Order: sequence, then C-alpha cells, then structure tokens
Amino acid sequence: MSRQEPLVWIVENVGSGPGSRETLVCAQLLGSDPRLARLDEDRLGPYSPGVFAKALGALIASGSRERKSRSTVVLLPHTYQVAEFAPRLALLLGAAYIPSISGVHRDGEGGLRFRRSILQARLEAEVRPRARTIVATVQSGAFSSDETPAPPRQVVEVCLPADMEPRPEREILGREAASAGGVDLAGAERIVTAGRGVGGADQVSVAADLAAALDAELGASRPVVDNGWLPREHQVGSSGHLVAPKLYVALGVSGSIQHLMGMSGSRVIVAVNTDPEAPIFSLAHYGIVGDLHDVAPALTGLLNERAGR
Amino acid sequence: MRIGVCIKQVPDTDAHPRIADSGDHIDDDDLSWVISSCDLCALEEALLLVEAVEEEEGGIDRPELVVFSLGPARVEEALRKALALGVDRAVHLEDAAFRGGDAMADGRALAAAVDREGCDLVLAGAQSDDLGQAATPAVIAGTLGRPYAWLVIAVELDAASRSVRAVRELEGGMNEVLRLELPAVLAVQAGINKPRFASLRGTLQARRKPLEKVDCAMLGVEPGQVGKAGARIETMAVRVPPTGGGGLRIAGDAAEAAAELLAHLEREALL
Repeated sequence: MSRQEPLVWIVENVGSGPGSRETLVCAQLLGSDPRLARLDEDRLGPYSPGVFAKALGALIASGSRERKSRSTVVLLPHTYQVAEFAPRLALLLGAAYIPSISGVHRDGEGGLRFRRSILQARLEAEVRPRARTIVATVQSGAFSSDETPAPPRQVVEVCLPADMEPRPEREILGREAASAGGVDLAGAERIVTAGRGVGGADQVSVAADLAAALDAELGASRPVVDNGWLPREHQVGSSGHLVAPKLYVALGVSGSIQHLMGMSGSRVIVAVNTDPEAPIFSLAHYGIVGDLHDVAPALTGLLNERAGR
Repeated sequence: MRIGVCIKQVPDTDAHPRIADSGDHIDDDDLSWVISSCDLCALEEALLLVEAVEEEEGGIDRPELVVFSLGPARVEEALRKALALGVDRAVHLEDAAFRGGDAMADGRALAAAVDREGCDLVLAGAQSDDLGQAATPAVIAGTLGRPYAWLVIAVELDAASRSVRAVRELEGGMNEVLRLELPAVLAVQAGINKPRFASLRGTLQARRKPLEKVDCAMLGVEPGQVGKAGARIETMAVRVPPTGGGGLRIAGDAAEAAAELLAHLEREALL
C-alpha cells in the first residue's frame, strides 16, 4: 500500500437504512481498503447530533493516532441526519469539512481534490482540504458503478467513550407524517411536475392539464409548495417524495440538488425550461428550451387529439 | 431573553454569476447581493416568535432581537435590511482577518459573537444559497456546546421552562418533534414562512438603530482561528458543470418541439 493512501472510514447508520453504496464506490476511488464504522442506536441510545458526533469522533481520532503518517478520510452518505451531525464531527476532529461531494481525484502532487455543486447546482467547485483529517459527505447518486464494491472487511461498532455522558442534548417528543392526501407520487408511472416557472397558483392548470392528458400524477417543486400554489403532498424532492416513474416531465423546474435527488431515478426525464443553463437539463433525456406556457398546451393538445378527446 | 439571528449575504442566484479569469471564484463585479433565502426565513421566524410573546404577555419580557453577519463592508446593507424588518440591533463581524474563511472559521467567529451578546436562542438558515454547506450553524452550536437541530420547520418558545419546541424535517415525508433546552441553536429550513417586506417606516427607523462593528480583538478570537488561516478547505477552481446524460435538445417552436417530443416518447413506448 502506498504511503499516500489515506485511512478511509465509511460510516453507516443502521437506523437510517443503506445509502452506503456511493460511499463504497467513492472509497474505492481513493484506492483504499476502507474500514466501516457502524452507528447503532441500540448501542449509542437515541440519535442526537452531539452524541453521534462525539462517539464517532473518538473512534476516528484513535484510528488516526495509530496511523500517524497517513491522512484520514471519513465518508458519510449525505442524508439529513448526517448533514446535521457531520459538521460537528469535523469540528471535533479539526478536520476539513466537505459536504455533498460529487467527485474526487488527485492533483499533480497526489493531493486530494473534491468536487461539489455550488450556487444551487449552477456551478461546481473543486475543493482542496487543508487538514490531515477530512470529513466528506457523499451526494446521493453521485458515484455510480456497475458493480457494487465488496463491503469493507473491517467493521467497527461505534461505542460511547467511557468518559462520555450518554445524555442526548435534546428530547424527542415524537414523530409525525408531514402530510396526508390522495396523491400517489411514489407509485406513479408518469409524473408531470410544476416548477416555479409556472408563475402562479392560477397557472398551475397548465401542468395539471398535461398531467391529465398523459394520465400522470401532478408533482410540484419546493418553491411551488412554499408559495402555496399546490399542497405539500405534491412535493417531489429529498424533503418530499422520492419518485422513480417511467416518465418524468419537469415544467419550469430549475432543478435544485434536493429536487434532482428526489427524481433522478426516473427512467425518462423531460425538461421544459426557458433557461438553457437550468441544472435540470443535466439530467434530462429530452430537453426543450422554451416557455412551458407554449410547450405544455401544445403537448396537451396533441395528446388529446390522439386520444380523440 | 435574547434571540440572535445569523444571516449571510450571498450573490443573487437569479442572476448568472460569472467566473473570474483566475478560475477559482465568482467575479464580484456587477453582482447583486441579497440575504440568503433560508436566512430570511430564520429572520421572519424570529420576528414571529417576538410577536407571539408581545401578543400573549402584552409586551412584558419581549425578547430582544439581534442580527449577526460576517463579511466585508457590503454586508452592512443586509444588516440594515434586517433592522428595517423589525430587528432591534445588528452586529457586523468585520475584520481583514475574517477574509477567506470556511464554515469552520466563520462559525467560530459567529459563535464568539453570539456568546458575547448572551443569546438564549440562535436561529440561522439551514443552508446558504451560494455554497450550501449547511455547516455554519452546526459549528456555532458545537463551539458553544449547545443543543442543535437542523432543518427546522416550526419553532415554539416556552420562556417559562426555558426551552424551545422545534419540528425537524426527516426524509421521506416525516417530521420529528423535539424539545431543546435553552440556550440552543436552530437551523431553519427554507419556505417555512413568508418573509415580510420592509415598510417605509421600518426602513427609516433602521437608520437610527444600533449597528455595531466587531473585530477579532473585541470577540477575543485568535486571528489564526478565523478567516483563511482558520479555514480547513480551499476552493481551487470553479466551473460550469458539464451537461451530462447525453440528453437530446429539441429545437423548434412550441408546436414542432411538442410533436417531436411525442414521437420520441412513443418510440420509447411511454404513451
């Protein structure tokens, strides 16, 4: 093993399901035989950001002390829970914190460079860590590989350090469903999503009409829901519904990272947007640069004609 | 009771930012600057918390509202806007030593500032519109050892028990209800309220409200812990992402494009 190879940790939270596939692929790019640190509420008690960060931090720090000559990279899947506690972990370790990475490579001198989206996915930045320890969260869907890499051979269950009080810094009062409604986005074969480009509550019908003509469910991007143009149960994205229909039509959706995370698994993606640089086009199989208020009614008209309506 | 709100001034993302010739940052010229959208929601939530106390208790024990921001001289405009919205006073972290910081460096400086003011509750946006690292509020909480929640969509203050009830968004359409003892730090999700606009009266009053400039020495932070010296990451290049997927751009007017798209979808047996 070359001296430049870092000690790589992959972090998995037993409670919040998989999501470690991307971290595994990313670890493979770093050329290392990674160790898996497993977070389990049965061992650590109920999740809180402080407790998880401290317990994990103690483990990583002791691993780094063993291997003085190498740098350490901690890879976590970019989930909501991880986004909450990972900055704290980096702070404890004095580490470079590089969230939601979508790529990694080495520069001319063998130093690590990480790629991440900025300015709401309009641009991407190449970031160089300036610390021996790096905490990076991996953007969902960013690292793909035809083969799932073999799981790490070394698995470590994260424990509470002996000197640590297991008291979480906050109390969980309960959980509740964010919304309820008759919209079945998760099971839909076709979805037409209204984005901010529709322009207002009175103009959502342009998307609803196309959805009806396609026999599709009606989705909404976050700004549409936040503005009250459509109820929250229509929301597609990592904070709404994660969808993977056969056909996904995005009307006036620019394509925030959160939105793209929620629909990137769709089989065929169509995007209509006036902005040719809208990030949604990077995922779209078919892209039309144009005004949805012209394109959608044209589609609806043709579909209704075909159906003899 | 004192509530602090940390805001970041960011380039207006509706404009198309230009990459500087050096290739490692956004060209600052002819950019327009705004308060990051989540931070506006954090400001609005703080104003609503103060108004809720005013209504219930007739203004007795009204929390004081202080806004914080770190950055160069231009940041004063963002702070004046917050004052115009109804915030009581502003603290501007301005020091050459703050330049070039990352979330770790900026979070440490902001932590010192909110601690200096004795804020019982600190609100900030969940992530900024420019870098979107979602880290600064967590660093503030971590530095001060305070309870923290990210992606908060509802906040209720319980002054009597010195605690706050917060609802946090989980993935997959679920929420978690939490109770945090004060002092605490909450990072507010975008869109949880409708940020108000400043009134003319508010804008006029804002000019006379206190806006204090603080530097490293006043905050008692080591210059080596903040700014570029304290940063653990460095941006080496910024570029337009390659358009992936090999997607097909369909040209023509609306009717032509619609017809061509339907032909493709039919061929893929999607209709």
